[in-house]
Amino acid sequence: MIDIPITHVFMISALLFCVGFIGVLARRNTLFMLMSLEVMLNAVGLAFVGAGSLWQEADGQIMFILILTLAAAEVAIGLALLIRMQHQRHNVDVDGLSQLRG
Amino acid sequence: MKLAQFIAIAPELILSLAIVMQLLLIALKRSQHGIAFFTMSAILLALFAHYPAMTQVNSAVTPLIYVDVFSLTLKVLILSCTLVAVWVSYGYLRSAVEFHDEYYVLLLLAVLGANILVLANHFAAVFLGFELLSLSLVGMIGYLHLRQHTLEAGFKYLILSATASSIMLLGMAFVYGATGELSLAYQVPGQQNLRLLGQAGLVLIMVGFSFKLSLVPFHTWTPDVYQGAPMPVTLLLATVSKAAMFAILVKFWLVSAIFNNETLQVLLLSIAIASMLLGNLLALTQKNIKRLLAYSSIAHMGYLIIVLAIQSQQSVAWALKSGVFYILVYILATLILMIYLAGRSKAHGVHDQDDWRDWQGMIWRRPAHGACLILALLSLAGIPLTAGFIGKFYLFTVAIENQLWGAIAALIIGSGIGLYYYLSIIFCILAKPPVTQCQTVAVSGGSFTISHTTVMAMLTVIIIALGVFPDILASQLMFQSEQIPIIFNEAALKSEW
Repeated sequence: MIDIPITHVFMISALLFCVGFIGVLARRNTLFMLMSLEVMLNAVGLAFVGAGSLWQEADGQIMFILILTLAAAEVAIGLALLIRMQHQRHNVDVDGLSQLRG
Repeated sequence: MKLAQFIAIAPELILSLAIVMQLLLIALKRSQHGIAFFTMSAILLALFAHYPAMTQVNSAVTPLIYVDVFSLTLKVLILSCTLVAVWVSYGYLRSAVEFHDEYYVLLLLAVLGANILVLANHFAAVFLGFELLSLSLVGMIGYLHLRQHTLEAGFKYLILSATASSIMLLGMAFVYGATGELSLAYQVPGQQNLRLLGQAGLVLIMVGFSFKLSLVPFHTWTPDVYQGAPMPVTLLLATVSKAAMFAILVKFWLVSAIFNNETLQVLLLSIAIASMLLGNLLALTQKNIKRLLAYSSIAHMGYLIIVLAIQSQQSVAWALKSGVFYILVYILATLILMIYLAGRSKAHGVHDQDDWRDWQGMIWRRPAHGACLILALLSLAGIPLTAGFIGKFYLFTVAIENQLWGAIAALIIGSGIGLYYYLSIIFCILAKPPVTQCQTVAVSGGSFTISHTTVMAMLTVIIIALGVFPDILASQLMFQSEQIPIIFNEAALKSEW
């Protein structure tokens, strides 16, 4: 089996993270923003697992499990807000949420 | 685990148990008064549990948690703020037709998160506390579903705080990759070829915390969320969340050896200076008191993080003392203002009573309230004879001791700008009352009771007492180096890595 250099793992996770981050910034549909958040969190998970394998420890994988739990909780709250937005405004476009300013 | 370790984390155990009991209580009988009373007694019990916990200072409970004097002090502060928040929420929510039991569950969850964050000594604990705090806060910000603005505020907070925490997590992963250690106390700069990775990680972690402390340039969410959130939740955001984030930032800075490097110091100082100036400048034009407090909190957090930019081992104890004193003073003044605002607003109102121009002439109609608010504002502005002045003075000495001339200049300029908007509110309170006899809701309505006045007066007395005799508290706040697992050292700071 060929060893994958650790720098490659970190590079791909940084790349994935950027994809998610750009998604959060650029998407107007809140559902897609939540999905982009998931991509970011999974990129972090990849980095943790990679770092864990570098140091030959299980800690990285445990952190990944915690991150998965967080992702689930976050999406649950996000979807609850999304449903309320759908009820109130009949669309889920984030541009509608710009009344607070001053 | 030994009994001693259970005693050390007894407050957190009580809080966790109380959360489960709350859920059972809600299942048995839905009652607004019952759950508020239960929550308050649970928090009081947790506060008292700090007495036995004091005997277990400087002990590690599993690798995740380390109990020391600094974290115990901040936990007491956080729990006291929560007590006030629960009582204020009770008055605020009582007027509504619906039952608001779940609100108190979220509140205790947020406080549990804040406590874990303060105690954390490990990335996993930091992560758990951080997320427990922010996710429950999202729930509370968006809690009043009939109001229009809460949805926007909740969604903004959710998306931005989730982004910030994933950035922070990525930073943690990078640091873990570079050092091979998740525990704060053992992190030392690792191999040469991974140092760049570690440094990138530190900057990313710093970004995550700057977001939570609403420091420039990650501050844009603060005014919107403060304005949109129900008033008691704004109170929590401004006190509990800020104190917990400050505590963990201090721990990162002083406990973890890799954080002592000059690049990060420069980054921290520039963030601090930018926050002081921009926060105060943006506050100038605000007519909404919640937004104004949000901008002023940006500036105050900028002042506060000066204490982290220390250069020598000798100044650690003094810097910690100044930091804790300053955040306490800031919280006291903010509490007075927010208790008043929350007392005047109702959960079923369209929005909170948050335009400070309605306060015109309050001193003539309600002298007690007017005087309390004026003193709180003077303390925020840092006028002598109030605690705010002493707090700023302490920060000033820290900055001089460590020769942070840029920060000193920004502190002075920022306070000067701040004086303008604090004084314009004070002048408004002192002005002639409006001619019409009918008073606006902002001065007379809401769930305001005599107990609100009493608590405001008590807090004001504390502010004055601390301003005149700061030593009654300051002499108690002794953070000797041996009481905290500090491995801050000058050699590490000077060595480039």
